[in-house]
Amino acid sequence: MAEMVRKSSSDEIINHWIMALSCILLIISGYGFLFQIEGIGSLFGGFNAMKTVHNWLGVVFVLSLLYSMGHYFKDALEYDDDDRQWFKVAGGYLSHKVKVPPMGKYNPGQKLYYLAILAAGIAIALSGFAIWLIQDNAGLILLAHLVHNLAFCIFIIAVPVHIYLGTLANPGTFQIMVNGMVPLELARKRYPKWMKAAGKM
Amino acid sequence: MANDNTKNRKAILVTPEVCIGCRACQVACKSWNQLPGIKTKNNGTYQNPPDLASAAFNIIRYSEVPSDKNPVRWLFVSRRCMHCDDAGCMKICPAPGALYRTKEGAVAFDRDKCIGCKLCVNACPFDVPRYDVEGKVTKCHLCFDRIDAGMQPACVKTCPTGALRFGDRAELISTAKKDGFNTIYGEQDLGGLGSIYAFKDAPKLYGMKDDPAIPSSVIFWHTVLKPFAVAGLGGVVAAAAIHYLTVGPHKDEEE
Repeated sequence: MAEMVRKSSSDEIINHWIMALSCILLIISGYGFLFQIEGIGSLFGGFNAMKTVHNWLGVVFVLSLLYSMGHYFKDALEYDDDDRQWFKVAGGYLSHKVKVPPMGKYNPGQKLYYLAILAAGIAIALSGFAIWLIQDNAGLILLAHLVHNLAFCIFIIAVPVHIYLGTLANPGTFQIMVNGMVPLELARKRYPKWMKAAGKM
Repeated sequence: MANDNTKNRKAILVTPEVCIGCRACQVACKSWNQLPGIKTKNNGTYQNPPDLASAAFNIIRYSEVPSDKNPVRWLFVSRRCMHCDDAGCMKICPAPGALYRTKEGAVAFDRDKCIGCKLCVNACPFDVPRYDVEGKVTKCHLCFDRIDAGMQPACVKTCPTGALRFGDRAELISTAKKDGFNTIYGEQDLGGLGSIYAFKDAPKLYGMKDDPAIPSSVIFWHTVLKPFAVAGLGGVVAAAAIHYLTVGPHKDEEE
């Protein structure tokens, strides 16, 4: 059996799944509210139940999002020349012929995705709590309603892209969110700078 | 956004000029809708309760507006849900059926379907919806139950002066115009209101809003963000599918 390296800790994987599942359920129920979709309401046991589920899943989501900062935040803030070059070749996603610069543990697309989700996630959570809890302040509630829906637009664009890139577009990547392991050979090709730093190259 | 019932749309016509401020409309409304009493307080005015409440679907607003000719001019205007044709509350409501259009063109509510998010309160151009102790929406529903039984709304039935009249909306408007009321408040606003007001003076004198409108953030959300939420998701999924079929998944270089 090929030698494996660990890319994600079990702690990170479990937290990511809590975040992912709550996020997807929040998006589904969000569409239910946005367009008054009876079928989605029934799925959650009616709109009253769906409201309770949506509110508390929001709590779960934002807690796991904040917890994930310990896993990704530091990496997401560091960019180098290779990262800049990565953008010039669109990460190699638009053509297999371009030369993609060597990457560290995460590519800049992933890092910016994380920052976008972090910002949109905090915005959607704060505005959600405002809609949930604030009474008698029309200006603030309408602002929260707008922010909640603007952040929602970021989620419904970014999350499907993230799912596609983490599954079909990059074979072998999904496994990292299952057992956290990457074959050493693959890791050397995809994350050479990280492997170098870890002394495995 | 005209509703399908524009032809037989019903309305309440309020003529403040003939209102004597007796508040029988408030009592009749409470009686028909079995609304509890409200602990109120003296605000130095006859207006009581001071504002619409979960147990007060209509109130008379008392305004003292002295003029040169009349130093004690006292204006009464009956206030309730305006039953907008383009209703902000219905637009923003996330729960299907919680706020719905009756066949007379009024906006009614269903407590059981209301999820208590209170968004309607903030999207209403007229600050009408209220929440009861159980956190469910309440407001005037144009007595759709009485109308169904061939009766007039309770407030109209009891009004002793004709300050409140109920009937075919178009007829009420043309009659009021014939009677010399040159301003029909709500004739055009928000697609046409279901509570219309016949004025000779400026409506503002009576405390009516000049240009009632659904908050612009709600309009933006409805006309831009909602379509984007569909097109955006669809576009991203389609783009991913096209990418997978044309460029294809990532290939690791062979060494």
